[in-house]
Amino acid sequence: MSEHRHDLEAQFDRILSEHGAAISRLAFSYETVASVREELVQEIALAIWQALAHFRGECSERTFVYRIAHNRGLSHVWKRRPPHQPLDEIEESDQPIDPRPHPEEQVAQTDRRMRLMSAIQSQPVTHRQMIVLMLEGLSHAQMAEVLGITENNVAVRLNRARKMLKDALGER
Amino acid sequence: MIEDRELDAWREQWSSVAEPPADFQSKILQRIKREDRRFVLGNLLTVIAFLGILIFAVYMRHQASWMGTGWATGICVLVFVSAGVRIWVLRRTWRPETQSTRAFVELWYKRVAARIRLLRISIYLSIGWLIFCAALMAVNWSIIGQDVRAHPKGWVALLVACVLMQPAVLWYGAAWLRRRKLAELNEVTKILDEMSGNSVP
Repeated sequence: MSEHRHDLEAQFDRILSEHGAAISRLAFSYETVASVREELVQEIALAIWQALAHFRGECSERTFVYRIAHNRGLSHVWKRRPPHQPLDEIEESDQPIDPRPHPEEQVAQTDRRMRLMSAIQSQPVTHRQMIVLMLEGLSHAQMAEVLGITENNVAVRLNRARKMLKDALGER
Repeated sequence: MIEDRELDAWREQWSSVAEPPADFQSKILQRIKREDRRFVLGNLLTVIAFLGILIFAVYMRHQASWMGTGWATGICVLVFVSAGVRIWVLRRTWRPETQSTRAFVELWYKRVAARIRLLRISIYLSIGWLIFCAALMAVNWSIIGQDVRAHPKGWVALLVACVLMQPAVLWYGAAWLRRRKLAELNEVTKILDEMSGNSVP
């Protein structure tokens, strides 16, 4: 029993090391307030831990992590209405420090990143999921597996989501 | 391979969005330990409360009057019926069929719908309990009546607190919870519709 738990803990540690950054990014698309986002990241990790004992490798570990993270994100959006809070309210410390020496370029990059995040967060939650999975580099088949829809459906909805994201970026 | 510069640029911006904090893993391990303790404690408290009610009910059965026996039996029946109804109504809502987001949202819908149903049944059970208590008092009026005549103020206060306040609290509580659950149901239906492509925002 304790050996099984030890194996699970090792697997969990590895998952957090490999997918911790992706979980953090995904939480960013569901929550703008840093302290609450940290809480959401912990909730996602906790949900992964609870589901890990039942994971039998029916899908890839990456798909497994994204499914749980998105499901937890969805419930979070419901609990935290109104869901969209302008990114202006994010503390300065949230932004990763860019080591490059040109401050103007750094400002421009931060601005582009902020616009992208704000545009993503303004999308309906189902489009947001599509966009995040696309940005994380998942294939159509993997996206279909995470969301529980067909690949054709993924292609259609992804096109729509991408167009809406582009429109939103154009407006900003 | 087709070059997609727009997507590449978005991905580059996206990948630098956020890194997990340095103490991320240790905080999560602490949280897991805390949740494990909470889970054990929660179950322990439920078992203690359940056993407490049963012991109290058995103790009441040994009282001289019919009132105690009837009330104790009523509580036992109510506890078992409530638990049974809860398990029955929430059946098939424990686990999603698959781990996909769609299955999760479908399960969410079933859970909210089951909770609304459970709320309605709880109101019927509460009304049934009040009727049962009233009937029990009527049957035992010969014993209670003497006490009521001896301490009328105390009994009026008890009547107001237990019998009249209970429907009011139940009514408002249930109405508030129902509104919340209906709003949740609407939201989940909207998400399901969006997933099915029925509504184009």
